[in-house]
Amino acid sequence: MGTHVMKRLLATCFMTMLATMPLHAQVSPFDMSPERPAKEPAPQQEQPAAPLSPPKIAPAPPVTGKRFVIPQDSLSFSGETGEKTWAVFITEEQAASSATLSLTYQNSLIVAPEWSTLTLAINNARIINEPVQSSENAKTLTVDIPGGVLKAGLNVFKMSTSLRHRTDCDVQSTYELWTEVDPSRTFLTFAGDAAQKFRKIDDIRAIGVDAQGRTTFNLVVPAIDRIAATAPMLHLAEALAVLANMPNQAVTISPALPKEQLPGALTILLGTDEDFQGLPTALLASTPGAPAAAFVDDPATGGSVLRVRGPDWQTVTTAVASIVDPLKREIGVPRSFLSTQTWRSPNVPLFTAASRARFSELGVATRNFNGRRLRTEFAIGVPSDFYANEYGTATVLIDAAYSEDVLPGSQLNIYVNDNIAATLPITTKGGAILRHFPISFTMRHFRPGANLITMEAVLNTRSDTVCAPGTGSTSPTRFALFDTSEFIMPRFARIGIMPNLAGLSGTSFPYGRSDKPLPLIINNGGEKSYSAAATLLARMSVAAGRPLEIDPRATANSTVNKNALIVGAIPQIESTVLTQTGIAESIRAVWSDVRDVEPAADAGPGQDEFDLWRERLAGRGWRGQLAFFDEWLNRTFNISLTSFSFYPGADEPYAPEPAASLLMAQRANPAGDGVWTLVTAPTDDSLIESVTAMTQQDRWSKLDGHISIYKSGTDEIQEVPVGEFTFVPTQPISFANMRLIVANWLSGNILSFSLLLIIVSTLLGIATSRLLSNLGRRV
Amino acid sequence: MSICVLLLVTLPVNLQTQLIAGATVLFIMMVLKTLNAGGIWRLIALAFGTAIVMRYVYWRTTSTLPPINQLENFIPGFLLYLAEMYSVMMLALSLFVVAMPLPHRPERPTPKGKLPSVDIFIPTYNEDIELLANTMAAAKAMDYPSDRMTVWILDDGGTVQKRNAEKIVEAHTAEKRFSDLTALCEALDVRYLTREKNAHAKAGNLNNGLEHSSGELIAVFDADHAPARDFLLETVGYFDEDEKLFLVQTPHFFLNPDPLERNLRTFEQMPSENEMFYGIIQRGLDKWNAAFFCGSAAVLRREALNVTGGFSGISITEDCETAIALHSRGWNSVYLDKPLIAGLQPATFASFIGQRSRWAQGMMQILRFRFPLFNGGLSLPQRLCYLSSTLFWLFPFPRAIFLVAPLFYLFFGLEIFTASGGEFLAYTLIYMIVNLMMQNYLYGAFRWPWISELYEYVQTIHLLPAVISVMLNPRKPTFKVTAKDERIDRSRLSELAAPFFVIFFVLLVGVGVTVYRIYSEPYKADVTLVVGAWNLLNLIFAGCALGVVSERGDKRPSRRVKVSRRCEFRIGEKWVPGTIDDVSVNGIRIQLLGNLTDELSVEMASDVRFKTAATGEMGDLPIQVRNVRKQAGETAVGCLFKPDDPSDHRLIADLIFANSSQWTKFQLDRRGNPGLIRGTIWFFGVAMFQTYRGFAYLVRQITGRNKAEWERT
Repeated sequence: MGTHVMKRLLATCFMTMLATMPLHAQVSPFDMSPERPAKEPAPQQEQPAAPLSPPKIAPAPPVTGKRFVIPQDSLSFSGETGEKTWAVFITEEQAASSATLSLTYQNSLIVAPEWSTLTLAINNARIINEPVQSSENAKTLTVDIPGGVLKAGLNVFKMSTSLRHRTDCDVQSTYELWTEVDPSRTFLTFAGDAAQKFRKIDDIRAIGVDAQGRTTFNLVVPAIDRIAATAPMLHLAEALAVLANMPNQAVTISPALPKEQLPGALTILLGTDEDFQGLPTALLASTPGAPAAAFVDDPATGGSVLRVRGPDWQTVTTAVASIVDPLKREIGVPRSFLSTQTWRSPNVPLFTAASRARFSELGVATRNFNGRRLRTEFAIGVPSDFYANEYGTATVLIDAAYSEDVLPGSQLNIYVNDNIAATLPITTKGGAILRHFPISFTMRHFRPGANLITMEAVLNTRSDTVCAPGTGSTSPTRFALFDTSEFIMPRFARIGIMPNLAGLSGTSFPYGRSDKPLPLIINNGGEKSYSAAATLLARMSVAAGRPLEIDPRATANSTVNKNALIVGAIPQIESTVLTQTGIAESIRAVWSDVRDVEPAADAGPGQDEFDLWRERLAGRGWRGQLAFFDEWLNRTFNISLTSFSFYPGADEPYAPEPAASLLMAQRANPAGDGVWTLVTAPTDDSLIESVTAMTQQDRWSKLDGHISIYKSGTDEIQEVPVGEFTFVPTQPISFANMRLIVANWLSGNILSFSLLLIIVSTLLGIATSRLLSNLGRRV
Repeated sequence: MSICVLLLVTLPVNLQTQLIAGATVLFIMMVLKTLNAGGIWRLIALAFGTAIVMRYVYWRTTSTLPPINQLENFIPGFLLYLAEMYSVMMLALSLFVVAMPLPHRPERPTPKGKLPSVDIFIPTYNEDIELLANTMAAAKAMDYPSDRMTVWILDDGGTVQKRNAEKIVEAHTAEKRFSDLTALCEALDVRYLTREKNAHAKAGNLNNGLEHSSGELIAVFDADHAPARDFLLETVGYFDEDEKLFLVQTPHFFLNPDPLERNLRTFEQMPSENEMFYGIIQRGLDKWNAAFFCGSAAVLRREALNVTGGFSGISITEDCETAIALHSRGWNSVYLDKPLIAGLQPATFASFIGQRSRWAQGMMQILRFRFPLFNGGLSLPQRLCYLSSTLFWLFPFPRAIFLVAPLFYLFFGLEIFTASGGEFLAYTLIYMIVNLMMQNYLYGAFRWPWISELYEYVQTIHLLPAVISVMLNPRKPTFKVTAKDERIDRSRLSELAAPFFVIFFVLLVGVGVTVYRIYSEPYKADVTLVVGAWNLLNLIFAGCALGVVSERGDKRPSRRVKVSRRCEFRIGEKWVPGTIDDVSVNGIRIQLLGNLTDELSVEMASDVRFKTAATGEMGDLPIQVRNVRKQAGETAVGCLFKPDDPSDHRLIADLIFANSSQWTKFQLDRRGNPGLIRGTIWFFGVAMFQTYRGFAYLVRQITGRNKAEWERT
């Protein structure tokens, strides 16, 4: 970080830094970066070919006042067009002070600077519009944000790239284009002390992120082990998470004050006056008449600390409720959108019935395009009782035009969550205008919660086959996508299934819609278990869109006929819970003595190995032929021989591999009328570490099946698909819904449909025969 | 139950499930068919087929129509959709009609007490007098008390109007016909009747007959339909059993092939076109009391006809119209599934088309003027039956659409059927196979695979304008008598052949475009392949049709019927014993004992003497020897009839028409279900050969080779 730009930046906020410098020299005990996996997978589908050079350096000494803005640990734009829109919450004080934005990026060598631009707009005001020209090293741009651009509240940041290849014109070449923005060196800096301080509870939303795009709530609860403290602290954690609503949030609960105040983190003091005896006096100062939950300035950091206190736990609980209550939402009231704007703006509309949405409402603007591969995306939310994966098709009514330059063989693709869902080949020459042209695509890859729909136009053109030099971006528009296009969600089957971790991931189903407090079982308690539970509950509350009511006094025995969330390291988990959630008892042995072994080193013959053997023996003998046929069916019709079973068969008790560092399992409770979810790990340390990792936005959205395991060593998520399940009715019984539910079930149970058709046809034949014998003439 | 089926087939299950379910059902249907399961299994198999067809209809309706904002695709796409839905509707109607056809009526009812008096009407317009003579003789020879039956010739060719025609040639012809027929009738003891004017065509002629006669029952025979001896005894008994019976209809059995059968040479081996109608559809209609009058070979009750004022004549198909009128007044009909008459059918393609145009136009008129569905007097099954019979004649529209639809895509790139290759496989292909299998299940023994399609295709080209014109001017068409006794003495192309060649070439270009598109536009090769295959199928029909319009010269225009009757053959003054082997309308073949080749010569005039079945008396019939062939211990002599006395026709009729069981036997010999696969292979083979033959005829017609060479093909 020795560039002159950075020096200038440092100079700008010299005064602020000076005050806090000594504290930053220490290593925070709460910073978990060293334990984190060495390399996170980029959320983007297309990895740039070359790594960033120089590689990411260790986090710089934190500078107070830095407000990192990118809510993820890496941001890469690949292809010819890239866009990311999200919202950043700014306090009134921050909005009032002058601000500077730094942005660091690097691009691939083959990006042609004269035709490539990187743009950042804040609230539609263009702040940066730079030629992309930094392939050698990362380049930092620093600009002062004009007064009035930043507003108190949410500010929409829109970063976009338009990249062109230096030499090539074919579609393939567009995959080599990338620009990486470094989140750890992209931030806002506010002048003045006031900007570092929070005043109102709502300012929590301005907590922001750290250099890796994470948000941390550090709850300081000196009385952590008191039973009276458990519910308020977990509740408060949920409320804070719902309020801030950042994508990658973690909660730590500790009796002691954190050593330092990092960006993207907030310290919260929770306890009775008595509990706070040992704290610095500055934090204990009280103004008469001040609310029990309020921010106090922390002279040690220059920032603010949220203090929730009272003479006794009763008052403290009331104070927590004053934060929680405004966030509550009636159980029966459905959301019309999922609140995602801090990482994907606009908020994702939630489709609970047949409806349609214009692209303009989905955040897709009209695009005129002169390149080869146009990608644009939007997100669609579906509820957790979405039950149309097997049969459903959604439709996009596309308004688009392509010029006569576009050759047949070009195509429009639709991806759902990065899985190809439809292809519309362009088959006519001479250009055309598509007016509300329907493209239907399968909803197979839809999952509860937000779903990313990517529209891609792959254009082969006459001029690209010539590829005259200098035609890069000066060539005329060849494709236009209009924001009058529409997404059409058909009426779909709605019924919940149990177990289904995807539902938990999407909207905290079924806990999110329960009107009873969620029984929570944390057997031994302790800092790490509580932190893990709080982090998980925070994530679930965000998914549910409301802080979840909890009952932390529950036990396995008291919840045999209730929902339950069981959190703890494996030694603390009762055997009855393991059995009930379908986990083999042998998990204790698997996890007992492998903690120091290199992760994934002794993974044993897994599925990969099996596939390898199958591949080696492919085509040998009739089994090989059968496998070949299976593959062909799978490729052509998405049918596998396993779809031909009538009954899924009982799930075998599952034991994870030793490399698994977290296991989440879901099953019906012993009475069969509620859902138990078990979250366990080999040790307390791996529990908090892996829960924190797993609750991050991109991993959380991969939670699925009956069991999901996370391997921190390789940063992999694996699922055990749902086998046996029971339906959980969520809608009043109606014929139309039942019909669609049956359609989906039969689509997944192919032979059952055939059998039913055969039976019904046979009966029809017999009935007709009876009828005909009695009707008309007989001889 | 049907609601269950409906619910199940309208479930929007995914493609995979559809594919597997379709394949499973297909497999079961195949097994049922292979096992030749009848009775209840037949209906179960049909129910399977129905389920698949309904799924197809649901899918076709909900997911394949082009978007309405693309009119260039939507309009042809919707037409194609309508055409398909028409086909499905016709399938549904025919399923209803023939779901459980009445089995053969086992015994003929014995008339109680006195036999009813019968008037036998033979309406004629311009038929050959020779032909009429045979029919009259056969009618007279019927086994029935002669005081209880009167044969009437209802001559519309010798009316006063005709005899006084402005054109002198016409008037002269009519005058000659009048006097000749009068003489013939006198000789054969037949009543001759003509009238003032040719008003209301055949219906008017029949009504004129009604006015001048008084029998309780009326039997109607076309001029070329000669009845067997047992015709009346087989039929009149039913009128005793049911007082409200107005009609007993019997099948039309033809001694000569229709142009398709003749040109494709299938007459001897494949069931005739009309056998499907008389063999199963009329039986199906009979189940619902909806068997209708087919203009000839039927017996009607005068009392019933009087209710409607005789035969109805609004349409040019007076027969079906009369039946509707009487059915809707609560009268009943019976169909007797036994050929009791033998007749001739149009020999040339042009007259075949003329006859079909009349039927199609007449049925359209009925549809227009007496729409069966809203006819209050008919029962619901009767309405459906008549709807099925009349709507059938709309087939030129869907046929034409199926013919041109693939060209929309191949030539203009229009996408009128939105489906992927996989969907096409899972829905359309399975539907098509199921449809063919259902047809085969229903009509297997009576109609071989693809033959219906071929018949419809060859008629479509000329019927389409006819049907459209009757739709525009429903009252315009007039009754035209179909010529049936033409002879094709030399091979030639039909005068209606030109459009078939044009269509063939257009489709051939379509095949070329298919190949071009597959290579030049690989990104949509799957769709091109599917559409190209469809076009290829059309091309195969079009090729086969070229053979149909290439009229084969035929020395023996009528079929020979096998008989076995003792006879004596005159050589000079000597009578030699022999056996009559087979008979046709024109001549006989006789086996004589010993080698007589020296005594016989071609062109030699002679007589044959045999005992008539009618009276048991001996009769002498003048003949002329045409060929003589020596066989082991025998001599086969081919002879031509040379009747010089009207009474000779009695002998001819006695030979040919005396025994109706021989016709049944002939029909049964042709029946047999080759199965879908074998039938398809056979058909494609025929189509290839006929395409070649059509072109051979075309080339010769153009190059104008000499006639002798023609003859040999």
